[in-house]
Amino acid sequence: MRKPKVAFFDFSSCEGCQLQVANFGEALLDILGLIDVVMFREAISEKSDDYDVAIIEGSITTSHDIERIKQIRATAKVLIAYGACATIGGINGMKNNFDLEDIKKYVYKDDAKYFESIPTHPLHQVVKVDYFVHGCPVYQPEFVKVLKCALAGLLYTVPDYAVCTECRFNENVCMYDKGITCMGPVTRAGCNSWCVNNGNICYGCRGMLSNPAQEGQMDILKKHNIALDWVQNKMNMYNKPRELDTEPPANNGHIG
Amino acid sequence: MQRFVILSKKDLDAFISALAQSQKVVAPVARGHNNFSFAEVSSGKEITLKYIPTILPPKKYFLPTQEIITSYNKRENALNAILEYEKMVIFGVHTCDLAGIQCLNMVFADKPKDINYIIRKNKIAIIGLECNDYCDEYASCHVVGNHLPNGGYDLFFTDLGDVFIVHINTMLGDELVNKAAVFKSADAKMLKALESLRQMKHSIFKDEVNVKHQELKPLFDRSSNSKVWEDLNKRCVACGNCTNVCPTCYCFDIIDEPNLDLNTGVRYRRWDSCQNEPFAKVAGNENFRKERSQRQRHRYMRKFKYPVDKYSRYFCTGCGRCSRTCMAQIKLKETINDLAKETQ
Amino acid sequence: MKRIELKESEYIVAPAKILEARMMTAQEKYFKIALEGGTSLDHEPGQFVMVSLLGIGEAPISISSSPTKRSYFELVVRNVGKVTNALHKMEAGDSLGIRGPFGRGFPVQILEGNDLLFVAGGLGVVPLRSLINFVIDNRRDFGKVHILLGCKKPADLLFANEIKEWGKRLDVNFNCTVDKADPDWKGNIGLITSLIPGVNLNPKRTFAVVVGPPIMYKFVLIEILKKEIPQKQIYVSLERHMKCGVGKCGHCQIAQYYCCKDGPVFSYDQIKGNLEAL
Repeated sequence: MRKPKVAFFDFSSCEGCQLQVANFGEALLDILGLIDVVMFREAISEKSDDYDVAIIEGSITTSHDIERIKQIRATAKVLIAYGACATIGGINGMKNNFDLEDIKKYVYKDDAKYFESIPTHPLHQVVKVDYFVHGCPVYQPEFVKVLKCALAGLLYTVPDYAVCTECRFNENVCMYDKGITCMGPVTRAGCNSWCVNNGNICYGCRGMLSNPAQEGQMDILKKHNIALDWVQNKMNMYNKPRELDTEPPANNGHIG
Repeated sequence: MQRFVILSKKDLDAFISALAQSQKVVAPVARGHNNFSFAEVSSGKEITLKYIPTILPPKKYFLPTQEIITSYNKRENALNAILEYEKMVIFGVHTCDLAGIQCLNMVFADKPKDINYIIRKNKIAIIGLECNDYCDEYASCHVVGNHLPNGGYDLFFTDLGDVFIVHINTMLGDELVNKAAVFKSADAKMLKALESLRQMKHSIFKDEVNVKHQELKPLFDRSSNSKVWEDLNKRCVACGNCTNVCPTCYCFDIIDEPNLDLNTGVRYRRWDSCQNEPFAKVAGNENFRKERSQRQRHRYMRKFKYPVDKYSRYFCTGCGRCSRTCMAQIKLKETINDLAKETQ
Repeated sequence: MKRIELKESEYIVAPAKILEARMMTAQEKYFKIALEGGTSLDHEPGQFVMVSLLGIGEAPISISSSPTKRSYFELVVRNVGKVTNALHKMEAGDSLGIRGPFGRGFPVQILEGNDLLFVAGGLGVVPLRSLINFVIDNRRDFGKVHILLGCKKPADLLFANEIKEWGKRLDVNFNCTVDKADPDWKGNIGLITSLIPGVNLNPKRTFAVVVGPPIMYKFVLIEILKKEIPQKQIYVSLERHMKCGVGKCGHCQIAQYYCCKDGPVFSYDQIKGNLEAL
């Protein structure tokens, strides 16, 4: 059987998620036994327009991006949104907190007039996405899981329960017990509470649950004496573009 | 015949070290911020004897968070049932958690029997440890009758100051004691001391809620449409912590995980929670417990009503973990009192 | 950690082969399946199996055929998730695994000798067909038989040819309705509830068996109760997402019942009043 041709593309992003692939170590060899990487800017110089699977890092932030992603979608049989920028808009989404013209001037100063910019969109707001690999950066074991599903033609459903679940499985001391607030209770699991295992809080980089308990969360903040705007900032750090969602993206935390 | 022996406290280290030479020993260890967990130890020094209920109960050894149940080979269309187990001793199990294990035993021995659970359970030796006083204000062990030992252990340790008095409950327990050779026989004075400790506990441990033991089930029978659930709806964030830390919650999901060759792989089960939104969803997205209020009610009913109908036993052990872990500070004792107040 | 192979386990699957597969509607695919080695599934009408696809997972599927057909069984699968999606790509000759049959089916012995009112909405005809065909295959053992079917539109009708045959039978009172007709439809238009008042039955000796989507029960049961059929003589088959099939995993729990073990068939008398049941 012919190995599927896989191409990596990047839009607005830091390319750190692609770096995760390069950092795979030994498992990378197993993966390369299954696929034929035809385009991967971080590791190989070849370019190709002939691919089956497109793995996209980054969010859509210009109208040129829209044309380009539509082109890729038209070519690829399978499209994988890869990393927080692609799946939820991510850090780039913070731009949506501001007036577009103001923020352009702030970034580009006098040269602002040369740059075209639109509000940040995750991929699914522009094209159909077949698989979501959340995270900033992506969690490698989950990427492998998704890749296996993509190669076998199976659905992959992102967990629609809180990071807390995995965090309890790992028996981490709860951040709230330490008097620190954490986005775990409203953030989709699937990362094996990677950050908390390593002493960090959850920043919500995997996107929010499909039905987060806003009221309950506010109640918790009140009880723990945590300022609301501080949390809202934290929440919007990765999740601002969700305001532009018209409907929940398929396979992204629904029954499977 | 009841048999008791004595272990001098200074010999605990020798006992645990000797045990750990021949098999895995797990016991409560401190994790900081007044959190504890059962973890592998090689000596008594690593153990925290005075601990509040661990983050996860010992159920994690009986029903692992994730457990392979079958392995497969697609090309050969073959699927084999798998059991992974480990012989071990769990030291320092409080009476609430002993009760939790008893509840799980009932569920998994219920027909059709769960072979994986049954075999694994029989590879685990259990050493209980008595609570001479309440661990904290979250516990409600008296009202569910778990502040005193009710069996379910091989050995049971009670702290009498300089020594532990140890009840030998099974032949396996007897073997552990004989092998260690650090135990002495218990004299009448020690037995008397145990008795007076238990007497004293009667004055310390009192019903923690305004409802009597036998009134808990009727309370939940009439609380189906209580406003208390609506209140929980507003507070709960459905993180699932309460069920994951519960010693008697056993729900799981079954998931296939292919290897990278896409030919072989395993099917495993993994703890799941009725608090998670998709738990009771069916094809077509109908969700039978869509509201957090329904899911919280279901959790409570699964402790105080449904298992009583089925197994004549409360599945709340009074350990207090659900209240302790809840960020929204939904407290079991408070919920029960609120229900009682409302339906008086 | 020791790893051993178990000779017995509830999770072992029986190898099976697809004998026939075809799309029945735009969303539902029909499968005729036989266990390897010529073993009969030996199920009761109303039971279900776990269909197991290696590396993909398992899904609970109602058995649609009557146990009077010994050498094979039939399933009808709607494409709604990972497993059913993969199933839809499978064809005759493909292998799969079967666990079960599971659960309590329809109480055939209790129904015998009595008049029967069958009500099925949408996919509900799939499990109910196992009982209807059992009754038809043993027609003399039962009293009057009324069959009422309903679905959204004519194109959704499952087992259309077979249903046509039911309609032609002298020993069956058959009626069918669609929510929304197309130009070729000559039958009733309207909800299934509209068919019930017109059925001429003796409530004392009639047993009603109702199977349909969750939303349907509430309204159909009101109509059936109006007919004064005693609550003990009304049976429903409830849909839940069983994962283990053996009364452990908790997904299908309705109050103290596990739908996979204590159901999926319940008498109305038994299940009414239980939280989140109907």
